Amino acid sequence: MSDSIDRATVEQVAKLARIHLPESQLDESSKQLGAILEYVSQLDQVTLPDDVEPFFGAIESVNAIRTDEQHPSVPRDEILSNAPDSDGEFYKVPPVFK
Amino acid sequence: MDLTTFSASQLVDQLQSGEISAKACTRFFLDQIESSNQKLNAFTTVSQSAIESAEKIDARRAAGESIGALAGLPVAIKDVACTKGLRTTAGSKMLETFVPPYDATIVEKIIAADGVVIGKTNMDEFAMGSSNENSYYGPCLNPWSDEHVPGGSSGGSAACVAGNLAPISIGSDTGGSIRQPASFCGITGLKPTYGRVSRFGLIAFASSLDQLGPMTKTAEDAALMMNVISGHDGRDSTSAKQDVPDFQDALDKPLTGLKIGVCKEHFDEGLDAEVESTVREAISTLEGMGAVISEVQFPHTSSAVATYYVVAPCEASSNLARFDGVRYTTRAAADDLEQMYAKTRAECFGEEVKRRVMLGTYALSSGYYDAYYLKASKVRRMIKQDYDNAFEQVDLIIGPTTPSLAFKMGEHTQNQLAMYLADIYTVSANLAGIPAISIPCGISKSGLPIGLQLQARSFDEATLLNAAHQFQQQTDWHTRRPQS
Repeated sequence: MSDSIDRATVEQVAKLARIHLPESQLDESSKQLGAILEYVSQLDQVTLPDDVEPFFGAIESVNAIRTDEQHPSVPRDEILSNAPDSDGEFYKVPPVFK
Repeated sequence: MDLTTFSASQLVDQLQSGEISAKACTRFFLDQIESSNQKLNAFTTVSQSAIESAEKIDARRAAGESIGALAGLPVAIKDVACTKGLRTTAGSKMLETFVPPYDATIVEKIIAADGVVIGKTNMDEFAMGSSNENSYYGPCLNPWSDEHVPGGSSGGSAACVAGNLAPISIGSDTGGSIRQPASFCGITGLKPTYGRVSRFGLIAFASSLDQLGPMTKTAEDAALMMNVISGHDGRDSTSAKQDVPDFQDALDKPLTGLKIGVCKEHFDEGLDAEVESTVREAISTLEGMGAVISEVQFPHTSSAVATYYVVAPCEASSNLARFDGVRYTTRAAADDLEQMYAKTRAECFGEEVKRRVMLGTYALSSGYYDAYYLKASKVRRMIKQDYDNAFEQVDLIIGPTTPSLAFKMGEHTQNQLAMYLADIYTVSANLAGIPAISIPCGISKSGLPIGLQLQARSFDEATLLNAAHQFQQQTDWHTRRPQS
């Protein structure tokens, strides 16, 4: 683990996270993220048995399978009424390409 | 009639016997909210249909119909569980006008048991925080002191019960978000076993850690609510197909012979001296009641917060991808789709949420997965094994809920790590998936509550509630209320 994160990496991470980060905030973000990464880097010091399996979730059950039956869905207009923009049938978004 | 002195269980008795109507009870707490919420800011939204719901219950009772276990009891719901037709914000600007078209399973069950949803409680944005200062809707105050935080992220759910704005509430706990505010506000808060309570309709933060649970005046009240909300739900594939015992039935067992392990590492450096002496006194009380006390070791507990701050942000970065300016509330003006996403998320997420989403994005990005997420998930296995080993020797694990008393507003806002360490004793239970409860066990010289944490084997909430209830039969800390 590396415990510092430079401006360019922060910029790249913000892009991947789809969060617009103004140039003026890059230094502060890099400092804050760096501090947290430095703290979590203590995990490097934990000695693990060679055969340890990762634990991803508290329930290690088999796949949950249900019967494939139709159920009524929430009405479309109720769902779309929460959207910033729709045409009554679909969500509307700005152009994908300029 | 002053209803603030009653526990939720006592109010249910009053409602069932007809001493008080559901309408009068609901009106009483709505009046409490009306007079105190402007100061406390415990509620983000108050239900406009609560009186109508209460009237319907009264009418059914008058007609001789059978009434559910909550009998018309008002219930406050953390603003992270969806309520049909009632605004649900998750403490975020991103959901400022979101009105869910369906109820979360937990809300559906509360309504089916004739609980009356009176409102939605304030919280740290998307449940990320330990002080309620990260709410877009402003901080919530601790009813014990205007200068101190109520804890978080379920700050509003704790403050509304402690301040008598509601007799009972629901919170959510991803790393301590039920137990830490319960401790800071002098109430009882139970994080159930992962899978015990359906997460359907809970706005997800970290899906392998999140769990909903009751925040109450007494352990008896928590048992009442657990009987209503527990059980498998086909709409949550991680909810457990486990039998649900009657939690109220298990409360009265004497503690003779109950094996309680003191987590040695939770009394190390960093623990406030007054919290330590108070918790040790509580342990002696339990010993005096017949419990057998021993020491147990958790060699990996010191890595729990670091593990949590890899796992939780990773899961959050994925879960919060759905907030993109397409489906909810509002969007930023932009020329193309990608800019719209980025600007909306920059404008509508608060600083802590952005920090965690970026942290998780970084840790999961190409080349870093093994070093962060995989490594943390392996340490998580070791933390779970520490519990498995301890529970071979003891039935419960005991210690302080938090290392300090409620801290001051603004005290940790410039130092994220200090804020994160407020959860140092609570995060392990989430990582391992086990149930844990915080109950009041004292009041500091400065007049702030102190919490005791008990942790149990998976799906053994009955033993937790039994021990907590018995402790509350011997002590009166749970009956103390802030001077208003």
